[in-house]
Amino acid sequence: MAESAQATQKRQWGMVIDLDKCIGCQACVVACQSENNIPVNEEAHFNQRRAIQWIHIQRYWEGEWPHVKARFIPVLCQHCDNAPCEPVCPVYATYHNTEGLNVQVYNRCVGTRFCANNCPYVVRFFNFWEPAYPNSLKNQLNPDVTVRSRGIMEKCTFCVQRISRVRRQAKNDGTPIADGDRALNPACVNACPTDTLVFGDLEDPNSRVSKLRDKELVEGGRGYHLYEHLGTSPNVIYLKKVDKHAVEEPAHA
Amino acid sequence: MKLTRRQFLGLVGGGGAAAVIFQACGVPEAELFVESTNQIPEDLVSGLDNWYATLCRQCPSTEGIVVRVMEGRAKKVEGNVDFPVNQGKHSARCEAGLQALYHPDRIAGPLVRTGERGGGQWEEVSWPDALGRLAQQLRGLRDPAALVMVTSPENSYSGLVADRFVTRFGGQRLRYETLESTNVRRAVKLVYGQDRMPDFDIENSAYILSFGADFLNTWGSPVRHARGYGQFRQGDRERGTHVHVDSRFSMTGASADEIFFVKPGREGLLALSIASVIIEDGMGNTAAADALTDGGRIDMGRFAPDRVADAVGVSADRIHSLAHEFAEHRPGIAIGGGSAAAHTNGLFNMIAIYSLNHLVNAVGVPGGVMFNPQPPIRDLPAVSTVSSFADWQKLAGQMRNGGVGVLMVRDADPMYGLPGATGFRDASFNVPVIVSFSNRMDDTTALADIVLPEHSYLEDWDIAVPDHGPGYQTVGFQQPVIRPFFESRGAHLGTRSFADAIMTLAADLGLDLGLPATFAEMLQDGAAQLHGEGRGSVTATDFRAFWNGALQRGGWWDANARSAEAAVRPPALPAQEEAPQFDGSGTFHLIPFASASLMDGRGASLPWLQATPDPISSATWRTWVEINAKVAEEMDIREGDLVRIVSSFGNPDASSAEGIEALAYPHPGVPPDVVCVPLGQGHRGGTRYEKGRGSNIMSILAPRADTQTGALAWAATRVSIQKTGGWVRLPKFENTVPDFPRDEEQEVIKITPTDT
Repeated sequence: MAESAQATQKRQWGMVIDLDKCIGCQACVVACQSENNIPVNEEAHFNQRRAIQWIHIQRYWEGEWPHVKARFIPVLCQHCDNAPCEPVCPVYATYHNTEGLNVQVYNRCVGTRFCANNCPYVVRFFNFWEPAYPNSLKNQLNPDVTVRSRGIMEKCTFCVQRISRVRRQAKNDGTPIADGDRALNPACVNACPTDTLVFGDLEDPNSRVSKLRDKELVEGGRGYHLYEHLGTSPNVIYLKKVDKHAVEEPAHA
Repeated sequence: MKLTRRQFLGLVGGGGAAAVIFQACGVPEAELFVESTNQIPEDLVSGLDNWYATLCRQCPSTEGIVVRVMEGRAKKVEGNVDFPVNQGKHSARCEAGLQALYHPDRIAGPLVRTGERGGGQWEEVSWPDALGRLAQQLRGLRDPAALVMVTSPENSYSGLVADRFVTRFGGQRLRYETLESTNVRRAVKLVYGQDRMPDFDIENSAYILSFGADFLNTWGSPVRHARGYGQFRQGDRERGTHVHVDSRFSMTGASADEIFFVKPGREGLLALSIASVIIEDGMGNTAAADALTDGGRIDMGRFAPDRVADAVGVSADRIHSLAHEFAEHRPGIAIGGGSAAAHTNGLFNMIAIYSLNHLVNAVGVPGGVMFNPQPPIRDLPAVSTVSSFADWQKLAGQMRNGGVGVLMVRDADPMYGLPGATGFRDASFNVPVIVSFSNRMDDTTALADIVLPEHSYLEDWDIAVPDHGPGYQTVGFQQPVIRPFFESRGAHLGTRSFADAIMTLAADLGLDLGLPATFAEMLQDGAAQLHGEGRGSVTATDFRAFWNGALQRGGWWDANARSAEAAVRPPALPAQEEAPQFDGSGTFHLIPFASASLMDGRGASLPWLQATPDPISSATWRTWVEINAKVAEEMDIREGDLVRIVSSFGNPDASSAEGIEALAYPHPGVPPDVVCVPLGQGHRGGTRYEKGRGSNIMSILAPRADTQTGALAWAATRVSIQKTGGWVRLPKFENTVPDFPRDEEQEVIKITPTDT
């Protein structure tokens, strides 16, 4: 029966990020702010290094004028299978769910910030302040997403609220979840004008992410994991930037 | 039975466990994992959502969007998958339209000034009262030409209403653009014979040679370009090559395979030199080469690489190989704009650059420059016109002499964006009546006498033709996604549609606009013309079905209706170089640029956009100046040092004549003789988010214009940099995340020389 197949089908959500396509435009960043009720990052928040951006673009310089390059990399929670943030949480606020997502349960979080200390990707953000919105701007808040209060850790959820909606819809209709469904894609993926970001089910052999993984990572293409040597086993796969004039040396921040 | 506390807990615990084990027999495994009993908060699904298709009017490129609406509130903007310009994608700016809609400082009803002009004292009046006062002022004008209407250059039905009103009244209409594109449009007219901006088919291109235009970020139709760029990089065909030529380090330059820094204003000379090599080596289309050299009468030898290398700042060898690369990788496109078009020789540069496309057969072919045909709507001739700097100077003069009686401004902020040296702002104090249609305070609205706040575009109707079309007939439909936010204030307060307000005003004045009686009928009339075509994305037997279909899809387009115009015989190239001229006292070339998020300042009132890091510097919320890192070191300038940028131009009023202040950002990619400053901040008035924030670089520009078109040469100013001794931390995202890991062996961004 379709319904039970939906309920029991094993899933592993993942993302492929093609660095050769990323132009650094920040569309993903603002799409994420809007979808996930992330508080407005005020000037002081940047100055205190406490701005919250679940997905952010890091820019690395190479060389000096006139032989200068800037390279962009979007970084978000890697949803590691072997996540360093999970075992250190004393209250099980962060755990791995059955679909491969690294989930943050806000109402369990007591704000120890151990997880953020342990995350090598620095993609966990702490609410140092109670989020403040002028009344009229509250009209925009997404009702599917909790507004986190002060003292709570937060991070990318792969827009789990969208996954839940689509899963429920699929269950009601008795139809399978379609790969690349825009209702399923995280906000950043839908926004990305160059299609740098691809989201889908790594367990489904026919999904775009699986095919890219097989071609680029398993068979040895441009695929790599960020900080592979740490053994975190991320579910985000990066594809190397292509540069004909590649200087075979690491980019420095 | 007496039960101890310990026994009680034991029983309850045991019973609970038994119940779980018992139930487990029929429970799917997934639900036995340790999760919150209520599941996590994100599992709660609250209510149903609707997505409405409409148009984004945040920036001039007119993207199709869908807006998620729940219980009468707009929640999220995404790209409209169907809409040909952006095909489901959008920019950070589109997203922030929600904050414009729900802005806490939105003007909730018509205002009239009570105190001094610009004093910020207002009285709220009703719409009939406000429109009545305006009508009275218009009736009192002795010369109808003393009515001036300033709008954005958009091509839409509301623009048509403005047009008709002004023509029938006998006034003047100007179309405002801060970083004006007059030179690019004129070059497109001269080189291709086109009235509209063409489409660049980046997706199918093999080679892009761009000059100055930040086309992935702010120039033209960035989302459309970026959409093609992803395919250009990693699509079905071989990876394309992109070479960018610029005098600053832009986001587009960062994405290019190679960036060449030219001396400011020499982009056209470089293009001519490339043309000379292509012609000399017989690699180009011979007919085009013949036409471009006027049958050989133009001596291309004078542009040979070794003769221009020094002036351009690129080695002769490299010019030579660049010409070969460009000619050999077909189809290729040359794109010019941005600062390359913003010199006193801007038109010369643009003609030289766009002519290159003729040489490599890239005009009117897939992967090249595709012409945009006229839309099949009678009343919407899509002609891109923008008022030039010369027009604004003329207007400022008229204003000063008392020749302007009523100045009406819609969707433009000339008091902010025109160079201070024009004296436009001061001259406006001689205008008896200034009317603004803005629904948020900006520098122009702050000086207004009557404010008639119009709906946000998410509350309003319109039909618009995207200026940068997709290469075939496309008409966008804009519909309200929510009821007007201030509707509850009653019919006489709140906001109104601009077109409705103008039509009411016209009726009051007894002007016959020659249009249907209401804006709604007008739009239906336009839609009926599309319906009558019986082709394209929406066809239907009855009009009602067509109308609903077009609204659902966000517009009407016909992918087969491409421009039938053949490429014209190219006009001859300029016979000799026109050198750029610069003005100002300093040693640095000043290259202003449109901010990635704030654009020309129009996004400054939206907190999401203020907080969006600049792609290159990652700076937010402030005005910074990009200065070469080595030069900065020599001048002992560190990041965050408050420096003064002085041009010797500016408003006669004291503050700007002394230059503006900005925070230094030492930048490894800026040429040593250039400083770059983003537009967007430094508003005098405005809402809580932009007021008193940063500085306005436009205020100190030299009033230089292109020698032929009169377009503002906004990159022709020279400035000096002085340390003030102050220091302010530059709010930037960089270093929020430390550059992990420190392990040298594990680079963050991995690079490979080939993609196979």
